[in-house]
Amino acid sequence: MADTAETASGAAAQDPAAGRQNRFERYRDLRFTEEELAVILLTPVVSFLLAVSFYPIFDTVMASLHTGYVLEIEPREFVGLENYRSLYGSGPLLDQFLNGGGFWNALRVSLIYTVVSVPVELVLGLGLALLLNREFRGKYFAQAAILFPWAIPTVINARIWAWMFNGQYGVVNDLLVRAGIIANPFPFLAKPDAALGAMLFITIWKTSSFMALILLAGLQSIPDHLYEAARMDGASRLRQFKDVTLPLLKPTLLVALIFRTLPAFQAFGLPYGLTGGGPASATTTLVLFDHQLTFNRLNFGEGSAAATVITLIALAIAMLYVGTLYEPEVR
Amino acid sequence: MATSDRDRGFELETFQWVGKKVGFYGSILIIALVSVFPILWMLITSLKQPGNVVQFPVQYVPQDPTLENYRAALEQAPFLRYLFNSFVVASGTAILDVFLGSLAGYALSRLRFRFKLPVLLLILGTAMLPFIARLIPLFSLARSWGLLNSYLGLIIPYAAFQLPFAVWIFQAYFKELPDSLEEAGLMDGLSRVGVLFRIILPVSAPAMATAAIIVFIYAWNEFLFALTFMTEDSMRTITVGIALYQGEFQYPWGTISAAVFMSVIPLILFMLFFQRKVVEGLTATGKA
Repeated sequence: MADTAETASGAAAQDPAAGRQNRFERYRDLRFTEEELAVILLTPVVSFLLAVSFYPIFDTVMASLHTGYVLEIEPREFVGLENYRSLYGSGPLLDQFLNGGGFWNALRVSLIYTVVSVPVELVLGLGLALLLNREFRGKYFAQAAILFPWAIPTVINARIWAWMFNGQYGVVNDLLVRAGIIANPFPFLAKPDAALGAMLFITIWKTSSFMALILLAGLQSIPDHLYEAARMDGASRLRQFKDVTLPLLKPTLLVALIFRTLPAFQAFGLPYGLTGGGPASATTTLVLFDHQLTFNRLNFGEGSAAATVITLIALAIAMLYVGTLYEPEVR
Repeated sequence: MATSDRDRGFELETFQWVGKKVGFYGSILIIALVSVFPILWMLITSLKQPGNVVQFPVQYVPQDPTLENYRAALEQAPFLRYLFNSFVVASGTAILDVFLGSLAGYALSRLRFRFKLPVLLLILGTAMLPFIARLIPLFSLARSWGLLNSYLGLIIPYAAFQLPFAVWIFQAYFKELPDSLEEAGLMDGLSRVGVLFRIILPVSAPAMATAAIIVFIYAWNEFLFALTFMTEDSMRTITVGIALYQGEFQYPWGTISAAVFMSVIPLILFMLFFQRKVVEGLTATGKA
């Protein structure tokens, strides 16, 4: 907030002739300079965000360096990196990353979840966007239907699919048996790999439509004359897609990627409602792991350490994308 | 999908045209069906007699449809109360974000001032911060300020989390307005504040609706904070109510389906009425 304070006093200093009275008159008339008005309009927003979004991050980092079981939050004892050490466990880094339990398992689950779901959603979303990028009868209802999975809360979707994937009476099993793909009902949510697969399937089902709409905006901003020119040059549809659509869609693709990657990395409601993280932690994502650590085992110190690590990874992902995407466009 | 993208270098014959139409509408139909099937399945399950819910092979048309599951669900948990709680929290969040977002969006798109880029990046940057890292301190704060189990305890964090999107929607909208709007107002002797409140905000109703709807859906759907902050049953939002609902019997899938279907009715209506706005809001985020 230093800059807003500075600009406010700077603006006042520019006008030394204006006495107290004069200044009062000016404020009563509400005749601010552009800069004063900007400060007045932005101060509430910026202070609100500093208090509710930035301060907590700082507090989490501090908490991660202290003991902090919920019942003895005061006084907290400084323990340095002890919480991080117990999260890490013991053993060589690569070995922990590949085989470690607890935090490492959750990290693997979240990474697999993100790396598999986001690209698949992107491809399906692009296909959907190309379908929707034209006028046809019933488009309004088709679009509403396609948006349903996105509009329904994740955790409610999770409950719905938990029933559909039910190992004995689930409709998914029924359809697969009727189609002759499997002979007997399969307990999807009771097998580690199948449960993770089911979770991936559900998130892809849910968010491809969201992807599609963001990409649709990009498609619609591509001027028609570019396609006309390409057609005149005899470019095939495929060629037009490759040489006109894709390059011009790149900024939107990156926005779509960043808007999906960070939420995917922070998945919580889906594993919570679908499997509770099981079987055998096979679907315990990082945030679910951290939530259990903090609010079930009441270990605020280690929970904060895990949250700090999650923040660092999320920021690294954001930087990676913004580094490729960033083109400031501010007047 | 494949047919629609095929090369058009040669003359279209009628059968190809028909084939394309069938292929196109066929794929749209299949996609729409896959999208709505789970909700449809909840409706079907919820109408079955309790005994018919758990049988294999599965019944696709309920025999002797009944509303028994709805009665049981409403008796076992206060779902209407949950819906009301969600409504209060989501509306409060939307109102707060429209107010703060429009002011900030105006400043960022139409006023000249120093440090504009850092301020914009600061606001948008908060959208990148993980929720879990904000959850633990905000939980402690809410507890010490007595904001657990209160509507305000959820409205404040939700409003902060969605504010960057609201600001983005407004600044994108304001940027498209012609400069002559403000010039005319200033020439008529209005102050800058007057221009904002008498000219700019009244014409920004479309952006307000878009921002409000996107924020409303977010707040309605949020789970992590709602689960952690609302520990009393009577204060739970609908997402938490459904997620924690266990039912009384061993296989309560009939009543769960009824509860789930009731909980999505408002969303179904919302999507049918406001779909255009929802799409606008999402596409606004896509305009980089």
